[in-house]
Amino acid sequence: MKLRRVAAWAGATLVLLLVFAAYLRPELAFTLASQLWNCF
Amino acid sequence: MKQVLLCGAMIVTLSMGIRHGFGLWLQPITMDRGWTRETFAFALAIQNLSWGIAGPFAGMLADRYGAFRVLIIGSLFYAGGLVLMALATSGLAFTGSAGLVLGLAQSGTTYAVVYGVIGRNVAPEKRSWAMGVAAAAGSFGQFLMVPVENWLIGSFGWQNALFLLGCLALAIVPLAFGLKEPPAAKATGFQQSIGSALREALSYPSFLLLMAGYFVCGFQVVFIGVHMPSYLKDHGLTPNVATTALALIGLFNVFGTYISGSLGQRMPKKYILSSIYALRSVAILAFISVPLTPSSVYVFASVIGFLWLSTVPPTNAVIAQIFGVQYMSMLGGSVFFSHQVGSFLGVWLGGRLYDATGSYDVVWWISIGLGLFAAIVNLPVREAAIVRPSPQAV
Repeated sequence: MKLRRVAAWAGATLVLLLVFAAYLRPELAFTLASQLWNCF
Repeated sequence: MKQVLLCGAMIVTLSMGIRHGFGLWLQPITMDRGWTRETFAFALAIQNLSWGIAGPFAGMLADRYGAFRVLIIGSLFYAGGLVLMALATSGLAFTGSAGLVLGLAQSGTTYAVVYGVIGRNVAPEKRSWAMGVAAAAGSFGQFLMVPVENWLIGSFGWQNALFLLGCLALAIVPLAFGLKEPPAAKATGFQQSIGSALREALSYPSFLLLMAGYFVCGFQVVFIGVHMPSYLKDHGLTPNVATTALALIGLFNVFGTYISGSLGQRMPKKYILSSIYALRSVAILAFISVPLTPSSVYVFASVIGFLWLSTVPPTNAVIAQIFGVQYMSMLGGSVFFSHQVGSFLGVWLGGRLYDATGSYDVVWWISIGLGLFAAIVNLPVREAAIVRPSPQAV
C-alpha cells in the first residue's frame, strides 16, 4: 500500500516536471510571454 | 466515492484547462480576422463576467435537477462555443461565442457544480481533502493545457485547434455519468427551498465574510496574472523570465490546492484561509521591496503559485460545513460570483491606475491591503453548522 502511494506520488511529480519542461522550450516561451496573460 | 472523485477531477481538469490557454489565440485570430486586440480582450472579459453571473444559476439548476444534466448541457455549450468561436467572422459573433456561450459553459462545468456532487457523496471527514484533489486537478488542467494548446495551434492551425478542443470538451459528457446521483442522495436531511437557502446564506454574516475573502482572491490573482508581464517588462526583465514565472505558478498551484484541501481535514478552515491571504500580502510586500531580479521573480512566482487557487477547497468546504450540501453548488456559485467581480476589478483597476500614475505601485499596495483585510475578515467565520428549526416547526 505504501509502495503504491510512493509510486503514485513519484509518477505525478514526473508528469508535473515534464509539463514544466515543456514551458521552457524557447518557441513556447516567446509565445507565452507575449500572449498568454491575456486570458486570465 | 472513488468514481465521483475521479470523474469530477477529470471534468475540472478539462473545463479549467481548456479555457486557460485562450490567450494563445489572440494573435492568430486578430491577424486572420483583422480585429483589434480590444475585440479579443472584450470577449474574454465578457466570458469571465458571464461565468461569474451564471454561476449561482447553474448551481441552482445542478442542485435542483442534478449536476449530471447541467454538466452535459455545459459540455455541449463548451463544444458549441469553441466551434462558433472558430467560425465567428464579426466581433459581435466572437463576443457571443467566446464570451457569452463559453462563460455559460464554464459556469456549468467547473468547481461549483462538481463540488456539489463531491459534497453530497464524500463523508464530511474526507470532504475537504476530496475538494483539494478536485481543485488540484483543475490546477493541473490549467498547467497542462497551455503547452498542449500551443502545440495544437502550431500543428493544426488555430481554427482546427478550436474544433479539436470542442471534441475534447465533449469528453465531459461520458464523465458526467460518473456524477449521476440517485434521487435519494439529494433528499436527505433538512428540506429547504432554493430561495430560502439563498436568503439564509446572504443574511448569514460568515457567508458574507467568505464572499469578501473570495473577492480579494479574484482581485489579487487576476491582477498579478494579467499585469505581471508588463511589470516585469517595465523593469527590463526578458520574456523568458515571465514565462518561467508562469510555469512556476502553474506547478506550485497544483501542490498548493491539494495541500490546502488536506489541511482542511486537520485544522479550522478559516485559519487556513486567513493564513493564505496574509501570506499573499507578505509575499507581495517582499516582492516589491527587494530589487527585481530573475531570482526574486521565481521565488515570488513559486510562493504566490502555492497560494494561487489554494483558497478554493477551504472556502467551499466551509460552505458545506455551515449550510450542508443540499444547495452546495448554488452557494459555491454565489461565492464565486464575488470572486469574478474581484477579478474584473483587478484587471481594470490595474490598467486604470497604471495609466493614471505611470506605475503599478498603487495597485500592489491595494493588493497588500486587501490581503490583510481578507486575512482579518476570515477569522470570525463560524464554521459550525447553522442551527435551523426542526422539520416539525417549519
